[in-house]
Amino acid sequence: MMTREQVRKTEGYIALLLCTLAALGGLFWLVFILGDVLVNGIKALSPALFLNDPAPPGVEGGGLRNAFIGQLMITVFATLIGVPVGVLGGTFLAEYARGRRIARVISVLSDIMVSVPSIVIGTFIYAVLVKPVGHFNGWAGAVALAIIMIPVVLRTTENMLALVPWTLREAAFALGAPYYKVITQVVYRGAAAGILTGVLLSIARVAGETAPLLFTSFNNSFFSLNMKGPIASLTVTIFQYAMGPYDDWHAQAWAAAFIITVFILILTIVGRALIKWRYR
Amino acid sequence: MDQLKIEVKNLNFHYAGNVHALKNISLPVHENSVTALIGPSGCGKTTLLRCFNRMHDLYPKNRYEGEIVLDNVNILSGDVDVIDLRSRVGMVFQKPTPFPMSIFDNIAYGLKLKGVTKRSDLSEKVETALRQSALWNEVKDKLGASAYELSGGQQQRLVIARALAVKPEVLLFDEPTSALDPISTAKIEELAINLKEEVTIIIVTHNMQQAARMSDWTGFLMLGELIEFGKTDKIFTAPSEKLTEDYVTGRFG
Repeated sequence: MMTREQVRKTEGYIALLLCTLAALGGLFWLVFILGDVLVNGIKALSPALFLNDPAPPGVEGGGLRNAFIGQLMITVFATLIGVPVGVLGGTFLAEYARGRRIARVISVLSDIMVSVPSIVIGTFIYAVLVKPVGHFNGWAGAVALAIIMIPVVLRTTENMLALVPWTLREAAFALGAPYYKVITQVVYRGAAAGILTGVLLSIARVAGETAPLLFTSFNNSFFSLNMKGPIASLTVTIFQYAMGPYDDWHAQAWAAAFIITVFILILTIVGRALIKWRYR
Repeated sequence: MDQLKIEVKNLNFHYAGNVHALKNISLPVHENSVTALIGPSGCGKTTLLRCFNRMHDLYPKNRYEGEIVLDNVNILSGDVDVIDLRSRVGMVFQKPTPFPMSIFDNIAYGLKLKGVTKRSDLSEKVETALRQSALWNEVKDKLGASAYELSGGQQQRLVIARALAVKPEVLLFDEPTSALDPISTAKIEELAINLKEEVTIIIVTHNMQQAARMSDWTGFLMLGELIEFGKTDKIFTAPSEKLTEDYVTGRFG
């Protein structure tokens, strides 16, 4: 017979064991996936990948230039649409609507928006910007990504502005500054690193999105700069190539996955470093 | 010397939610002098100070009654431009409030708001303000450095310089030394005394020695009422009210 202490100790060890196993289990798949992307991705890297457009299956030297450029354009335009709306919205909540009921309502709605499945946003934009036009287009993709970005940027901006001490605003008011100048010249400066972090993390968030693009910008096997037509993106290309029957498609999908993973990793690291630098 | 700069007449102030914070206050503020407001915590001295530049306007539903006459104009009336008022009545806060920008840009901030844009004008005025606040020698070689690199006492002199740069007529000090060490405190006090040649100073302080050292006139407030107002030496040596005597001798507060 075990004493009560022994029973408790044994229970403690079992709990520790279960937690460790769960953590290792999660970590295993993470390392497995990242390692797989790393190994297969690096193998498939070549200058041609960045410089050439897709070649027919079996023909040597095909690349994904169209998808890199397409992805870049969609992301840049999404940022140009999403960041101003997010920052200004966050400013409204933290400054003009501070403490009011409407600020809390919008904050909660925005938190809900963050967790809406991105495919829902994709289908919504499909109905609004693709169906009426009659064909897939790059703008629809950019708007879909922008909508995913907005709540992220908005909430970070709101939180970062709220961290700026109120006395700093009063000091600016006391010099005779009107509110918009207090915000743009003093408060934004105080919160700049934090807001920039939010922007970077929101770009990282949308850079890996496939579902909303599948319904909006779709894909394009040819090089295109026309945002009014279907435009290639890395994520959709990965999806298509990985499903395809050809080995060189698979290799290129790995390479694209590798690039996108590294891109997101860098953004995240820079974002975190900025936070540390701001609050050291 | 004994010209009146400001006259507070029957001032009542209510915070949002109908908190009657100032009750029927009347007091004169003499030009080119230092007026100290003393009293126990929560007596309304900071509230009164913040009426002079209408800081309370920043928060909804605060309400003033009565008059504060600055150079024959009631600054509490609705048609007064508060932005203009605040460039005439500067304020220095309890904690140093440097802006997240360089030392130079901190001082230039108020000037730029007033429309000074020429670099040479700015440089000249920034230097004058820094000299006035006795900070020039310490920062002249690092005007481009962040204001956050300065010590607390230097930061406080920096914000005084920032307030002085726009040539205010009145300067409000809200417990300007309560976050500082004794040496920095002495510098700020000396500075304020020298400044009264050019500006009229009103200071709120918790420290009675400070009020006695710095001010020419003292007002004693309690529970939102002005108990006594007079020459500082009289208030501290021969007050006419029992409450004042009890407070300045340290019997409560």
